[in-house]
Amino acid sequence: MAVAVLAQLVVFPWLVGQGLNFEAKLSVDIAISIVLAVSLTMVNGFTGQFSIGHAAFMAVGAYTSACVVYYGSHRIYGNPEMLGGMLSAMKEGRSGAPWFTGADLLFAGAVLSGGVVAAGCGYLVGLPSLRLKGDYLAIVTLGFGEIVRALVQSQTSEVLSEGSSVTEDHLKTITAWQGKLTTDDYLTAANVAEVPWYLWPKYVGGALGFAGLPSYNSLFWAVLAAGATLVVAYRIKTSTYGRAFLSIREDEIAAEAMGVNTTAYKVKAFAIAAFFAGIAGGLFCHTIGVQLNPGELGFQKSFDIIIMVVLGGMGSISGAAIAAALVTWIPEKLRKPEELQGMWVAGVTLIVLGIVIGVILHAAGRNRALGKGIAVIGGVALGLSGLAQLAIKYEVDLSRYRMVLFALALIAMMLLRPQGLLGLRELWDRSLWLELFARRSTDAKGGGRS
Amino acid sequence: MTQPILRVSGVSKSFGGLKAVQDFSLEISAGEVQGLIGPNGAGKTTCFNLITGVYTPDVGSVNLLGRDIQGARPYSIAALGMARTFQNIRLFGELPVLDNVRLACHLRVRHTLASAVLKLPLHRGEERAIRERAMDLLAIFGLDSRADEQAKNLPYGDQRRLEIARALATGPKVLLLDEPAAGMNPQEKVELRKLILSVRDRFGVAVLLIEHDMGVVMNLCERITVLNFGQTIAVGTPAEVQGNPKVVEAYLGTE
Repeated sequence: MAVAVLAQLVVFPWLVGQGLNFEAKLSVDIAISIVLAVSLTMVNGFTGQFSIGHAAFMAVGAYTSACVVYYGSHRIYGNPEMLGGMLSAMKEGRSGAPWFTGADLLFAGAVLSGGVVAAGCGYLVGLPSLRLKGDYLAIVTLGFGEIVRALVQSQTSEVLSEGSSVTEDHLKTITAWQGKLTTDDYLTAANVAEVPWYLWPKYVGGALGFAGLPSYNSLFWAVLAAGATLVVAYRIKTSTYGRAFLSIREDEIAAEAMGVNTTAYKVKAFAIAAFFAGIAGGLFCHTIGVQLNPGELGFQKSFDIIIMVVLGGMGSISGAAIAAALVTWIPEKLRKPEELQGMWVAGVTLIVLGIVIGVILHAAGRNRALGKGIAVIGGVALGLSGLAQLAIKYEVDLSRYRMVLFALALIAMMLLRPQGLLGLRELWDRSLWLELFARRSTDAKGGGRS
Repeated sequence: MTQPILRVSGVSKSFGGLKAVQDFSLEISAGEVQGLIGPNGAGKTTCFNLITGVYTPDVGSVNLLGRDIQGARPYSIAALGMARTFQNIRLFGELPVLDNVRLACHLRVRHTLASAVLKLPLHRGEERAIRERAMDLLAIFGLDSRADEQAKNLPYGDQRRLEIARALATGPKVLLLDEPAAGMNPQEKVELRKLILSVRDRFGVAVLLIEHDMGVVMNLCERITVLNFGQTIAVGTPAEVQGNPKVVEAYLGTE
């Protein structure tokens, strides 16, 4: 499974501009999930706080960048078309374009500004709530998420575009149109360009969603963002600042006594995480086939991200990335159970292999964890193919039971390996592998290691 | 007489109706080792918490290196030069031994989070210096061979010593030790005594320690303050304190 996911991430970036296809779209989704999961790891994993409103920062970033790209395009280019280069293209029809255009810069700048605005919101939300100890943050972030969703939903359901009609309300608020347009007129692109920037957030489509956004996001941008998030997160974790974050999670009182201003550092981690969530939101809403909609970025989405972080191991960057990839990949595959059917071959092979390795390690007086882990992965693969068989036989749409499956996976994880896939450690940490091959007396427990 | 590094004057703290500490005063100079003793519940750890900023005193003042630190947050007091250990060990259990000490070097760091992300030269240099400093400290405490182990997996005595090493890494002028000998065997207690004296000489810190083990306290401390029910009942040299009838009464009771 992990190999397939990795292949998708490594191979498909080379297919930039090759046109729209399902696999490439899935890879974009995976990369965005990685940005989200790794950024939430900085709050829930590093500092040990519990934020359950991560999707709200994603929404802030998405709406900010959407406004800048959509209304900005009207001002600069006179239309909201996608004018990016090959690097941004996921659809055919731009094959003659250069690799990179000025419109790509507009998109990149818009996404970054979405990140900055989200970070600002993170700072404002974090400052009062992170002073408190315990679970208050969870409640505050939940509230913030609902506020963002409700605010967007309560806006008018209009997106100003060429051909839409003029209302009394428009003429009242948009002074540039006064005297020029009447309620009998229809808007031209030039009229849309005249809307002042502070009114952009009003016309984002409300509960109906922001229609007509150009699809700038491509594998190039998504993988770039995921890579940048991974590098930044890893550098923070291994720096003296990362140790300060982790000390808060380990023991807040001791951290204060050792000179760590815990409130300031919690707010810092929170703002950084919000920044990357905002970036992810900006990429998400400019992805082909996505219509930006406030309902989609609510509590449910936040919970998806939390599942990724918990499954990956609280505090592990690589664990969160692997879990993000799987949690995004599996539901998509569940839509097409016939593709999962064949996995029983791999499953049985892995189980047999795991048992053999386990027996050999056991005979050599070593820890059996590696064998166990391989067998567990095989078991999951076998289970998935079994589910696919059943789904085909009884014509059930498995993707509708996605949350049930994840809930079961969470329960199984909490029972078998409560620290998550990798715990606090990274895939490449030496201690992880030393422990795997350690003498049996250390009694180290291993689990599903992808 | 030298100017005291830490001066606590007339500090009191109540929790609801309970007067946890009343009119507590103490002065400690550089290179001095002082003890704070008393029966269980006498308010010793509360005194530590008042001095290090965990609690704010109701009245009285705390003065460190000529600065009034009453009401300051623990992290800024740590930055000014006061470090402590905890009665119930508070290590960063999931982190490696080395990182426990490296974290304590954090408050002397000058580079920003941004330069850490960009791996600028200042960050690299300071990280290298932190690692060296931490390894040196671990070597002094004989913990360098266990630097990569998770702190929670260390034996009890090592955990106590790691806490002292971590406290020293903040670069303190005053070191507060809360029951450093708790749970140690006689051999380890002898070694701890030597260790505390060598730490004092090497780092020039003043040491204030809470301890129940009279052997450790009487052999180590130059001055002792005795608390009972939040009140200071005796101050003096070990010999003076041992002969004080109030102290005997507090520990053994009266007929």
